Amino acid sequence: MVKAGIITFLGTNCERDTKRACEFFGWNTEFIKHNDKIKEHYDVIFLPGGFSYGDHISSGRIAKLTPAVKSLPVGKTLIVGICNGFQILTEAKLLSGALTYNENIHFISKVADLEFMGETIKIPIAHHQGNYTGKGGEEVILRYKYNENGSDDRIAGIYDRKNKIIGMMPHPERAIFEELGLTDGRKVFEFIKNEI
Amino acid sequence: MKNYKATVNVKLKEAVKDIKAQTLEQAVHNIMPVQNLKCRVGNTYNIGFDAKNKKEAEKIINTICEEILSNSVIEEYEIKW
Repeated sequence: MVKAGIITFLGTNCERDTKRACEFFGWNTEFIKHNDKIKEHYDVIFLPGGFSYGDHISSGRIAKLTPAVKSLPVGKTLIVGICNGFQILTEAKLLSGALTYNENIHFISKVADLEFMGETIKIPIAHHQGNYTGKGGEEVILRYKYNENGSDDRIAGIYDRKNKIIGMMPHPERAIFEELGLTDGRKVFEFIKNEI
Repeated sequence: MKNYKATVNVKLKEAVKDIKAQTLEQAVHNIMPVQNLKCRVGNTYNIGFDAKNKKEAEKIINTICEEILSNSVIEEYEIKW
């Protein structure tokens, strides 16, 4: 059985959605506190969405300094940053580039059309700083069809295969259950499972 | 030990599109016509601390700037003592 860990920071707010999504696939899932060093083995570790430390200074800037992030088992365990988690991973320089304010300066909350593995999927986005710039050598796994936030090359998600680190702005965990109207997030979670 | 006080200005690098500055320019143009208006938006931090000497103080403030106050991918900082 897949063992998943979800790091919770002060201000994280998507940890329960992410846990429910993992449990939908039958994964054994537990939370990891931001101020704990990661000592246990996990097959996948999520940095979920939210507003860690109130986005003070800049999104993800403070969270990158926590014991949990500093002890991430880079290269050994698949690490997945969603939204604020992606911002934390770029701030920690675990993924290249940076996420700046959306081109229209608005907070964008909508269901976005995304290009993923050769097809178009619908997944919610909800962010103020999702405008991605400065990509390095990572593989692009998600692209906005209509580039809502002005990202370079319509980039919505990247994957560093060598170090097993994924970062994405869209929220696949919000598109799992039929009662919520969207289920394309399952495809992203299945991709994550295959990469473990 | 001596007390040092630094003012740090952090702003986006020239090559990075400054969305907040564009919004500010738009707002200025909404209230009056201004020729050759160019804005850059940043943050200012006033930081005081004790250090043995200026060299150590510079090391401390540079670490704070690089680790917390700025992201070298998109931002640059300036220190005034």
